[in-house]
Amino acid sequence: MNKTVELKNLYIKAGDNTLVNKASLMIEEGEIFGLVGESGSGKTLTAKAIINLLPKGLTYSADEIITAGKNILTASNKEKKEHIGKNIGYIPQNTVFYLHPMLKIKNQIADGYIYHMHKTKKEALEKAEALLSKVGFKSPKTVLNYYPWQLSGGMRQRCNIAMALMNDPKLIIADEPTTALDTTVQRQVMELFKAINEEMKLSILLISHDLGLVKHYSHSLGVMYAGQIVESGYTKTVFSRPKHPYTQLLIKIIPSLEIRKNEPLTEIPGFVKDKGRDSNGCLFYNRCPEAMDICEVKVKEHMDDNEDHYYRCNLE
Amino acid sequence: MLSYILDRLKSSIVVLFVVSIITFFVLMIIPGNPAQLILGTDATPEAIAELHAAMGLDRPLYQQYLSWLLELFKLDMGKSYVYGESVTVLIARSIPVTFSISIFAMVMAVFVAFLFGMLSAIKKNSITDYFSRSIMQLGAAIPSFWIGMVLIVYFGVKYKILPVSGFIPIEQSFTGFMRSIFLPSLVLAIGEVGTLLRIVRSSMLNSLKQDYMDMAKVKGLNAGKIYIKYALRGALTAPLTIIGMQLAKLAGGTVVVETIFALPGLGRLVLTAVEHRDIVLLQGLVMFITSIVVIITLIVDIFVMFLNPRIKSFHQGE
Repeated sequence: MNKTVELKNLYIKAGDNTLVNKASLMIEEGEIFGLVGESGSGKTLTAKAIINLLPKGLTYSADEIITAGKNILTASNKEKKEHIGKNIGYIPQNTVFYLHPMLKIKNQIADGYIYHMHKTKKEALEKAEALLSKVGFKSPKTVLNYYPWQLSGGMRQRCNIAMALMNDPKLIIADEPTTALDTTVQRQVMELFKAINEEMKLSILLISHDLGLVKHYSHSLGVMYAGQIVESGYTKTVFSRPKHPYTQLLIKIIPSLEIRKNEPLTEIPGFVKDKGRDSNGCLFYNRCPEAMDICEVKVKEHMDDNEDHYYRCNLE
Repeated sequence: MLSYILDRLKSSIVVLFVVSIITFFVLMIIPGNPAQLILGTDATPEAIAELHAAMGLDRPLYQQYLSWLLELFKLDMGKSYVYGESVTVLIARSIPVTFSISIFAMVMAVFVAFLFGMLSAIKKNSITDYFSRSIMQLGAAIPSFWIGMVLIVYFGVKYKILPVSGFIPIEQSFTGFMRSIFLPSLVLAIGEVGTLLRIVRSSMLNSLKQDYMDMAKVKGLNAGKIYIKYALRGALTAPLTIIGMQLAKLAGGTVVVETIFALPGLGRLVLTAVEHRDIVLLQGLVMFITSIVVIITLIVDIFVMFLNPRIKSFHQGE
């Protein structure tokens, strides 16, 4: 199968402090790839490295970053910009300020399309209208004439989705797309992603801290911990045979509806390390129930023969 | 939207009314008899009393105020005794001078402030940024009377490129007009550019940090779109308000610069009125200058509302 994203051995540093340590992931064409992890585990940074959006002051290096068929490590700045603008849609976490508050929807939804596809504003707005009704607006014309602050959070997120779809991208990066939304709207938005993925055959990188959501919607997933991808593979495989103790614990603590009254929710004790992420040992060592002495200094990477289940742990 | 403008208009009228009361009464309470001032120290008490009565100064204050206010509506602000001319005519004659140099100064200041403010925000800590920050410091630190005199010495006296003083009306000669207002406007612009540049830079820096900039970058738009349509648009409100305030300040008379360059503007008129205790002229000037400030503020507020339509909707209670 063709790959939409191939990321090999990504390191991101802020000065001397390592934030992301040797992250690799692969997104196949037409799949939803879930990237899960706690806050501060480097999910968003990893995604931003793929779309060349890392904040100033961070440096990164990688063996390979192929985004939608182009190696962006060797591309010039201009090429990168053009390529990413044209082929990738970005859907942010917070819906409030990603749409410019002083511009009407119609004045910001289509400018990427006009610029990259060399269309007139009229053509662009027709396309925007079609997409807005696709994402569930009954009267897209009215929405186009609204300012973002006249819309609700769910409506804004749908505008963001429509905006991300304007160029018929190969990949959509959705960074916690449902965080700011209430549960009902969350479900609507996720179903929308699923429908888009199935209909348009585009790949989606879904960043989330909600393992339940990722389990339900993604084909493959990667589990991030302290700047490393500790386990990745097909969602089914990972959930049926989780190898890394962190993944196992995460799966165990997904809250279920069968929870008894007054029973406390389980948690993993301790915190994610934010220093010393460049260690050769296992970064989960201090929280791992099955930690051995060797884990502090060394960790083994496993990749099964089909190259579709990866984990880094000293356990077999 | 109309209701917003009407509302602002109402409050502007209230401000003007209150100012008219304060102006009139404060200037009237000031000791010193205008009739005495006009006739000089040699005048007989009878002559003074006669003039006093003729000027209507023996009536109760509220009556004097009401008739003054009534005349004000007819744009008649009385007669200046120093010039012996109608105050309205005097002000009307000074307006072209002061307004030309104020507007031209602001055009220069706005151009430089936006150009360097934006560049220094986009390329923070670059040479451009340091240069802009020096402009800010210098603009704020250099006294306008000094820079005015330096400019006169170099451009007017030494190299004789520009006239040293005086004002040439635009209808007489356009080049002459531009040459006569260039140096005074430059001095004013130097005084204002620092503040404005600082505001543009900090608004721009703030706007560049907003999430919508990430979005604009992901879209891969060209720099012009990213920095002007998105960043600048989000950074306009504060500079616009400051521009309004600065313009209002300058249009109300620029005493120092008008004095240095011997320009017959509003500032000179204010100076004369104060020096000679020409209370009628002073009252008229204060009312006029206040009106300018109020009108410019009103215009800026309406501009800002168009720019940031949320103000409008808050007003409607949406």
